[in-house]
Amino acid sequence: MKFTSYSILAFWLIAVLLGNVLQLNPNAIDLKVILQSPTAQHWFGADDLGRDILARVLSGVEVSFLVALIVTGVTMTIGVLVGLLAGFYGGRVDAVLMQITDIFLAFPGILLAIAFAAVLGPGLGNLIMALCLTGWVSYARLTRGQTLSLRHRQHVQAAESLGAGVPRLLFRHILPLLASILVVEATYSLASVMIAEASLSFLGLGIQAPDASWGAMLRDAVRYMLIAPHYVLIVGGCLMSLILAINLGGDYLRDALDVRKPD
Amino acid sequence: MNIIKRLTSLLTVIFGVLLLTFLLIHLVPGDPVDVMLGESANMADREALRADLGLDQPLVKQFGSYLAKLAQGDLGKSIHTQTPIIDLIQARYPATLKLALLSLLIGIVVGVPLGIFAALKAGHWQDFIVTIVSVRLSAMPAFWLGPVLMLIFAVWLGWLPVSGMDSGSSIILPAVTLGFGLSAILTRMTRTSLLEVLNDDYIRTARAKGLSEQTVILRHALRAALLPIITIVGLQMGSLLAGTVITETIFSWDGVGRLLVESIEKRDYPVTQACVLIVALSYVLVNLATDVLYRLADPRVRHA
Repeated sequence: MKFTSYSILAFWLIAVLLGNVLQLNPNAIDLKVILQSPTAQHWFGADDLGRDILARVLSGVEVSFLVALIVTGVTMTIGVLVGLLAGFYGGRVDAVLMQITDIFLAFPGILLAIAFAAVLGPGLGNLIMALCLTGWVSYARLTRGQTLSLRHRQHVQAAESLGAGVPRLLFRHILPLLASILVVEATYSLASVMIAEASLSFLGLGIQAPDASWGAMLRDAVRYMLIAPHYVLIVGGCLMSLILAINLGGDYLRDALDVRKPD
Repeated sequence: MNIIKRLTSLLTVIFGVLLLTFLLIHLVPGDPVDVMLGESANMADREALRADLGLDQPLVKQFGSYLAKLAQGDLGKSIHTQTPIIDLIQARYPATLKLALLSLLIGIVVGVPLGIFAALKAGHWQDFIVTIVSVRLSAMPAFWLGPVLMLIFAVWLGWLPVSGMDSGSSIILPAVTLGFGLSAILTRMTRTSLLEVLNDDYIRTARAKGLSEQTVILRHALRAALLPIITIVGLQMGSLLAGTVITETIFSWDGVGRLLVESIEKRDYPVTQACVLIVALSYVLVNLATDVLYRLADPRVRHA
């Protein structure tokens, strides 16, 4: 299982590189092969405009990784800062910050991201912004909980009584102890951001045509499902394999770093 | 935690949800009236819409009148059809509720027994298979599972309608799509919490009394194991409600989720705003209900 997970991940990482090296043209239209099933020439078949699905999948996976990395990086930074401050200061600061996260949590799932993306308008930048605006909350919760207990550890108290300032306490004495749990959380969030990106693109809120993204491809594929089932099965299968591989990777990371998964 | 504190935090959350949905329309880049009406609209129409939405008023006053209207059940009018939004929601909400409840039922009916089965077979191959399947498949997004189910059961086998809501069986595919993830999560949760309980002293006592294995599991163990399950069901209602947006779109199910997507496509922002608000408020209420249920189910919390 471990091997499978890593090899799928490696496969998709190589695919990203390969897509760039081979300089495939994901937007080349060939009207003769519209919605063709897989052939020797087009391994994954062709889409509704006769574009090579393999080339588009490779270009789409790049977008997936890009969005996932940016959103995870930004949300983790914001969420960890909020969580550290809330957990460290406690009292009123904690109450206010946690009330704000509670309000964000009152919007189920990706509903708020859908709402933000809807009013901001379609496009990759706005999609990333919408996911960043809503994604920091889980990190804030997680970090706050951990910080609350770490704050009273002896090494933190000792550093404090030796005159260490707040930034030093937070970043040198508390944050390093959070590293492993955050790394595991970030891995899982790569997968969930990819799903969220695909969901928003599926709803037409992400990258606009003709650029390829897996969610937008699935949207088209569902439309042509009756005549070209290979389209939806292949693109969906690719997405599932990547999500699966990342989640499995997260599991192994969790076990290796000995982190209890926060449910 | 006392009731007053709980209520204050609930009211703050509701207030925050109202404020955030109110502010949504102000996030529109540029002039929201331009975006909604398009470049070609004439001056009079623009001003009429601007006045109608109250966008010419100061922000605080706008929010005040938004709340005042809301208190009277007035959610504004759709820009495209001029229908009061409350009517649109009333027409669509029952369909979403029906879909969400049936998915919840599917999730529970499939998930809990499978979890019990896995817990009883813990360590055997049956447990291994159930666990692997439930862990992995819970990550399957609706926009992939939905089309696959549609292909298999509607297109290839022809057992169920492809989409729409014309016949009674139309609800089955969307409900299974939506309930699938929940059932996988419930399987895992039931298994874990049952396994934790099964090693407790009182279970040994119950067995020692000579009770049948069925009574021990169903009456003694499952009852204690139910608590985390209730919490998970409550929390998962959120993703269920959000999931209706995509599931309803795939299966052309005329609920609030599809209304939301349609309003986004038409840039009918007041409708978008109202849909987001309704779904979020439903979720807040579900969470409250979960909390109450939890207290009822657990004497330790009740008497704390």
